[in-house]
Amino acid sequence: GGVTVPRAGLKKYVLPPDYSGITFPERTKLKFMEKVPAVPKVKRETRQLRDIRGPSHEATEFTQGQYGILALGGGYLHWGHFEMIRLTIGRSMDPKTMFAIWRVPAPYKPVTRKSLGHRMGGGKGPIDHYVTAVKSGRLVVEVGGRCEFGEVKPFLTQVAKKLPFPAIPVSRDGLQQMRQEEEEKKLNNQNPWTFERVVTANMLGMRKYLSPYDLRLKGRYWGKFYLKHRV
Amino acid sequence: ATAANMAALSGGGGAPWRRGWLPALQFVRRGSKAVTRHWKAMHFQRQKLMAVTEYLAPRPAIPPRCLTPRKGRVEEEDNGYARLLRRQVEEVFRDNRMIAVCQYNSMPGEDVVLMRHYLRKHNIEVKFVLNEIVRPVLSQSKYKNLLPLFVARNILLVSPELKAKEMLRVLKGVPQINLLGACIDNTILSRQGVENLAKLPSLEVSQGQTVGALALLPSQTSSLLQRGSAYLTALLDEHIRQLQARETGSPAEPAPAQSSG
Repeated sequence: GGVTVPRAGLKKYVLPPDYSGITFPERTKLKFMEKVPAVPKVKRETRQLRDIRGPSHEATEFTQGQYGILALGGGYLHWGHFEMIRLTIGRSMDPKTMFAIWRVPAPYKPVTRKSLGHRMGGGKGPIDHYVTAVKSGRLVVEVGGRCEFGEVKPFLTQVAKKLPFPAIPVSRDGLQQMRQEEEEKKLNNQNPWTFERVVTANMLGMRKYLSPYDLRLKGRYWGKFYLKHRV
Repeated sequence: ATAANMAALSGGGGAPWRRGWLPALQFVRRGSKAVTRHWKAMHFQRQKLMAVTEYLAPRPAIPPRCLTPRKGRVEEEDNGYARLLRRQVEEVFRDNRMIAVCQYNSMPGEDVVLMRHYLRKHNIEVKFVLNEIVRPVLSQSKYKNLLPLFVARNILLVSPELKAKEMLRVLKGVPQINLLGACIDNTILSRQGVENLAKLPSLEVSQGQTVGALALLPSQTSSLLQRGSAYLTALLDEHIRQLQARETGSPAEPAPAQSSG
C-alpha cells in the first residue's frame, strides 16, 4: 500500500444517556433537619461509642438516586454539618433536573457537655446538642435525576471534604467497582498470613493483644478509622 | 494469661518480683477507650501483626512493562449507519458497469460542484466513500484486487454506461483528481488501460469497421472471378494500341473500325 494520510473516519454518534427509570420525589431539595428531635430526650444517654466503630449495616446501598457521598470513617454529624450539606447541595444543584435525599436520620443522640472551667465531678453534664452517628461504609446523601456524575462530583467533593470523617462522592458503578476490587484483593493476596486467619486461630496468642471485636472487624477498622489499604 | 503469671510468680525472676510487683493482668484497661478522636497508639505486638498481615500484590512472571500492549480491538459495534453505507457500496458495485477510482485532493467547493455537473451530463455519478467501510466490503467480494487502491482520500465515479473519453476529458480539466484505476465491465484496468479504452473508436464506428472488414472479402469475389477475362481485355487493348501506334507512324489507316470490333 501507499502512504496513508491520516484523516477523520466515520463519526460514531454516542446515544444520549437513558434516564427512563428515574422517579423524582415530591421535594427535590434536601429537607430541613431539626436541631433537636420533636420529643427531646429527658434521660441523658451513655456515650456508646460503638455506634461509630466498625462497618455500617444500614444505608450501604443506593435506593433512589444514582450518586452519593460514602463515609469512609465513623463520626458524628451535628446540626451544623446538616445545614452545610443542605445549603451547599441546594445551592449547587438544579432542582428541575436533579433531586437529593437524606440517608441519615435527623440528630437523635444527645451529647452532654459540662460547663467550661469546672473541675471533674458533680454528676453528668446537661444535654448540649444532638448528633447522628455514622459508621464507615454508609451513604450520607443521595443525588439523582437527569444528570451525569461529572456534573454532580464537584459539589459532592466540596461537601465530602467538610465532613468530620473522610468521605468520597460515588456513583452506583463506582461503588460496585470498589466492592469488586476489594474482593479481588482478597482473592489475589499473595501473603499467606491474614489478620483474620491469625485472629480466628489465635496464632501466637495474639488475642491477648487484640479486642474480641477484632474477630468481627478483621484488622480493617481501628477505633473510628477505616483502614482502606488493608485487605 | 493467668497460668503464665502463676508460673512466673512461682518460678522466680528478678528484682521486681522480690519487691512484690505484679504485672498488669489486663492490658486493655489502661489508657483511653477503644474509639478515640485521635489515632490510638497500637500495642507493639499488634503493630507487628498488622505489618505481617499486609496485602502483597501479585507479581506476574513477565512485568507488564516488558509486554507490548495489544492494540485494543476495534469495536465491532456495527452501528446502523455503517451498515447502511456498506449496503450502498455493495449496490454501487452491483448496479454500475463502469467504476473508476480516483485520488481526491482538496478542491474548492465550487469546482467540485462544476465537475459533478459536467460528469452528470454524461450520466456519471461522483460518490465519496470512506475507506473503513469500503475495505471490508471489497475484501469479501470478488473485487479483492481493488483493495490497494483504497488508501487515503478517494472518490468513485460510477456510471451505467461507458463514457471513458468524456470522463477523461473532464478529469483532465480538474488537476486535483487523479485517476488511479477502474473496474469496467468486471475487468480491472489501470490508468493506461482506461486511456487506451478511451482511444478506441466508438461502438458504431467499430461496428462499421467490422462490417467493412467482413464485407471486404465478398466484394473481392466478383473481381476475382472476372480477373481472367479482364486480363485478356487488357492485353487486347494493349495490342491494339501498339498496332495503332505503328500505323500512325504510316499515315491514314481506318483503325478505329477494327479496334471497336
